[in-house]
Amino acid sequence: MENSLDKGNGLELSGECQACLDRIVRSNRDVILLSILWERPMCGYDLIKEIFSRYNVFLSQGTVYPILYSLEEEGILRAEFNKGNMRSKSYSITPEGKKFTEEKFEGFAKALEYSLNFFRR
Amino acid sequence: MIRDSIKGIDRILETEIPKGSIILVTGAEGTLKSGLAFSLLASELEGGGDGLYATLEQTKESHLNNMESLGVKTPDGLHVFDYQDMRVEWRDREPDMLKTTEEVLDYYSEKHKGLSLFALDSMNALYTLSDTTNLRREMYYFFDHLREMGLTSLLIMEDSSHRGPEHFLADGVIELGLVEGADGVKRYIRIRKMRATKHRMERHQMVVDRDGISILGPIY
Repeated sequence: MENSLDKGNGLELSGECQACLDRIVRSNRDVILLSILWERPMCGYDLIKEIFSRYNVFLSQGTVYPILYSLEEEGILRAEFNKGNMRSKSYSITPEGKKFTEEKFEGFAKALEYSLNFFRR
Repeated sequence: MIRDSIKGIDRILETEIPKGSIILVTGAEGTLKSGLAFSLLASELEGGGDGLYATLEQTKESHLNNMESLGVKTPDGLHVFDYQDMRVEWRDREPDMLKTTEEVLDYYSEKHKGLSLFALDSMNALYTLSDTTNLRREMYYFFDHLREMGLTSLLIMEDSSHRGPEHFLADGVIELGLVEGADGVKRYIRIRKMRATKHRMERHQMVVDRDGISILGPIY
């Protein structure tokens, strides 16, 4: 099927579904980034690759790095140089950032559920 | 606003620079281009508001250390964005930095609704890292983007004999330089062009002390 992709979760997404997913990912970049960093620390490059692999959406560098820097400035993320590579930084969620992140996830999930209620009638 | 920023700037600016102006800050190395641009932003934001200083060639840490050594304090609303991580991690496929810079600006202006000031250090680095096949057209759209956002922008540019499109598109050009006299080398500042602003044309001495940058009298 054109414009479809078979992801690890076994779902095949149609063109329209992929377009919706694209919009959701782009307009909720901070939540998407945090959801991946919740699993493990990563650098900006790997984050962009991971998002592409999960959602088939390419987020450009100029839309990802400013979020990482802002979240770091706000104390939600911590950046550390990778061992053996002093030029690449990995981002992880700080203990203080965990609560913020949980609230973000909850808000995001509830908003999606709320919207879905109108479609399931 | 700018007239109240650094000490002595009213010696060269007789009236205020209109908000949303795009100003080139040109000069050779060591003429304090970055220091002047950062000082202007820092003084402007002392009383609140947000600004963005984007540095393509220095890390944020190194830039802030340099500014501290010049006696410039960084207010909370002055955000510094460096391209270092991006450039290192994507060295094999460096993105078009002109487009990236617009995206970075869009992000900060969305996040900080009061974003009113922007500085880019430097235009030369931006050109090196961008697709400049249609430079004049690309610059026109970049300047248009800045104007649409209403940002007062300072674009830093290394001296060059070549006058690129930015010189014609900019509302103002501030030239920084060095003059050698009997009593040694002095730094100077000169406003070559500033639309809708009354200003002096002479070179004025620019000095740095522990309180930052100040502008003194004319150098003849």
